[in-house]
Amino acid sequence: MDEDYEDGHRFHIDDQKNKRNLEIGEMDVDGSNRETIFLKNNYLVKNIGAVVRDLRSLGFTSMTEDAYASAIFSLLKAKVHNLAGDDYRALVLGSIKDWIQAVPLQFLHALLAYLGDSFDCDSMSSGLKSPLASRPSCYPGIDFPSEGLVRWQLRLEYFAYETLQDLRIGKLFEIIVDYPDSYPAIQDLKQCLEYTGQHSKLVDSFISSLRYRLLTAGASTYDILHQYVSTIKALRIIDPTGVFLEAVGEPIRDYLRGRKDTIKCIVTMLTDGPGGNPSGLGNAGDSLLEELNRDSENQESTDYDDDINSDDKQAWINAERWEPDPVEADPSKGSRNRRKIDVLGMMVNIIGSKDQLVNEYRVMLAEKLLNKFDYDIDSEIRTLELLKIHLGESSIQKCEIMLNDLIDSKRTNANIKASLPQPSLSGSKLGGTDVSLDILDATIISSNFWPTIQAESLNIPASVDQLLCDYAKRFHEIKTPRKLLWKKNLGTVKLELQFEDRNMQFTVTPVHAAIIMQFQEQTSWTSKNLAAATGIPVDTLNRRINFWISKGILAGSAGSDSDDHVFTIVDDMNTNGLIHESSEGLLAADEEGERSVASVEEQLRKEMTVYEKFIIGMLTNFGSMALDRIHNTLKMFCVAEPSYDKSLQQLQSFLTGLITEEKLEMRDGLYFLKK
Amino acid sequence: MKVKILQWHAVASWTWDAQDETCGICRMAFDGCCPDCKFPGDDCPLVWGACNHSFHLHCILKWVNSQNSQASQQQPQCPMCRREWQFKA
Repeated sequence: MDEDYEDGHRFHIDDQKNKRNLEIGEMDVDGSNRETIFLKNNYLVKNIGAVVRDLRSLGFTSMTEDAYASAIFSLLKAKVHNLAGDDYRALVLGSIKDWIQAVPLQFLHALLAYLGDSFDCDSMSSGLKSPLASRPSCYPGIDFPSEGLVRWQLRLEYFAYETLQDLRIGKLFEIIVDYPDSYPAIQDLKQCLEYTGQHSKLVDSFISSLRYRLLTAGASTYDILHQYVSTIKALRIIDPTGVFLEAVGEPIRDYLRGRKDTIKCIVTMLTDGPGGNPSGLGNAGDSLLEELNRDSENQESTDYDDDINSDDKQAWINAERWEPDPVEADPSKGSRNRRKIDVLGMMVNIIGSKDQLVNEYRVMLAEKLLNKFDYDIDSEIRTLELLKIHLGESSIQKCEIMLNDLIDSKRTNANIKASLPQPSLSGSKLGGTDVSLDILDATIISSNFWPTIQAESLNIPASVDQLLCDYAKRFHEIKTPRKLLWKKNLGTVKLELQFEDRNMQFTVTPVHAAIIMQFQEQTSWTSKNLAAATGIPVDTLNRRINFWISKGILAGSAGSDSDDHVFTIVDDMNTNGLIHESSEGLLAADEEGERSVASVEEQLRKEMTVYEKFIIGMLTNFGSMALDRIHNTLKMFCVAEPSYDKSLQQLQSFLTGLITEEKLEMRDGLYFLKK
Repeated sequence: MKVKILQWHAVASWTWDAQDETCGICRMAFDGCCPDCKFPGDDCPLVWGACNHSFHLHCILKWVNSQNSQASQQQPQCPMCRREWQFKA
């Protein structure tokens, strides 16, 4: 635009120059000495006014206006960027508005007054008042705002809104990372969007930054989930109807569904709080579930404060609150279910079904409970109560029974010990170790309601075995006709290794305890003999014994046979360091196999094998089938026990398993038998 | 070297030892509970009849009551073997 003017219009160059001066003069205007500086600048205004009037008389009215408008806009833009910047912790919209009042509007007022426009407008609009002019606003130092000035104000404010909005949308990803610290920025953005209505801009830009920055292989599932939760919370403020959230959440959900550890992470996040979050992103405090609960309590108290539970009244209130969906709403999706934005609901939405969430939670809970030393389950009870509120009582019935088992165990345990005071003490002095019933605690579970527990054979030391026998006998007497079945490989053992020069304490699994106790009588074992003595398969033994090797208690060396190792107890401290280093890697491998409860996938696999024959038969008959056809056929025909109740995703993962086992193959979405 | 056990926390499961998997009346597992109960074990015990058939206590009580209320005035029978139902001492 500048070029247009410069060829031949000397006046305009002056005009621009003057205005530059004016801008510089007014840049650092604040409210207090506005008036004095304003007077100083009066001269400039007059100059510009003269130029503008001259240009107008030449017929360049619109051009001159464009010129000073663009100067003001660029000034305003700089001001917005300057005020808003990268700080999301303060509301800036208010101060921007104040600045618009204080600086550009004052200038325009003076200019318009000088040009005599304001007078013209006033007299004109007295008869025909524009609705814009009726907008209540106060103009410091200006008594009667003209319509021209009001137009300018609206124009400037719209421009400010748009600039701030663009600025914030560009940085929305960071703003949401900072949530809830960035709450003021979200508030500003909300106001801007209400004014400009450019929500779709937000959606597009945010989705692309999500794709670029979050939904990549490098981001941990925890981080993605945290960002998802923050996004839900932040967008809930901007758009309570949830339409844009729907659009933004979809890519995140799609992506998370493709990750294997999503369910596990969600459950950990829900139940463990920041402790379960290795990246340390979670804010200090309690679990997500606690937070959700507080949220829902707050919501309820505001929603139903005057609720006398009359449906008519509530319906009326709802009707009054009704607002049409934004234009961008996808009409194919019902508007009903998006009314309520429930964070947990949206998390469950990622997983697919509540049942899967509950199953995963149950496995994690079982793992936790079985590895407890005491019967302290207060935090688990609290979590369960919270889950109950969100997921319904019936779905977590089994988890409740599990916790109840622990409570019962505590009582029974105390009972048994009280009723068996001394006789066992003398009776169990076997093998040179004194063990009394005092050291034995038991968790007694209702196995039907627990996840499948991996049973392993194990010969535990005779002294402890005797104790278990006594305990079971006592249980049978107290709870006739119930019997106890020991799961000898489960539980935890605290033991102390007493060497000549030192004592070491360990908390280990019964398997580890059984292994190390064999070394009391004999300082060196071959793996075959040790396996026979402890009743563990040789390969399992080799894996498990790594624990003691890594602690520097045992040393392994190759025996006479290639796959027979000799393990010897290490009495000498000096060699510890060396051995420790060499076995680090092995330990890591060992820990993976340490779970006592079958994971959800393993369980699913076990359950699905029933259908393997059906699927193979089907594929023999039909040649090839698509996934959903297999699913539907199974649903149709497997109605007898066990009826087919798996989801499409579960079937798919099972079929993928069969493909890796080379039983099936897949081409173009169709499954075939492998020939 | 000596090993001293400081504490051994073992895990066990309980069973009614009923020689059968499920209750003949409600078809639920014996080691589970009857449809009316929430918690297995003490809350939903098993009983044995003189004929050595076992049921959830709540299930057989329902059965006995329904038989008693019928007009026939017969002694209640075991639902499995039709012998007269008596609780095993």
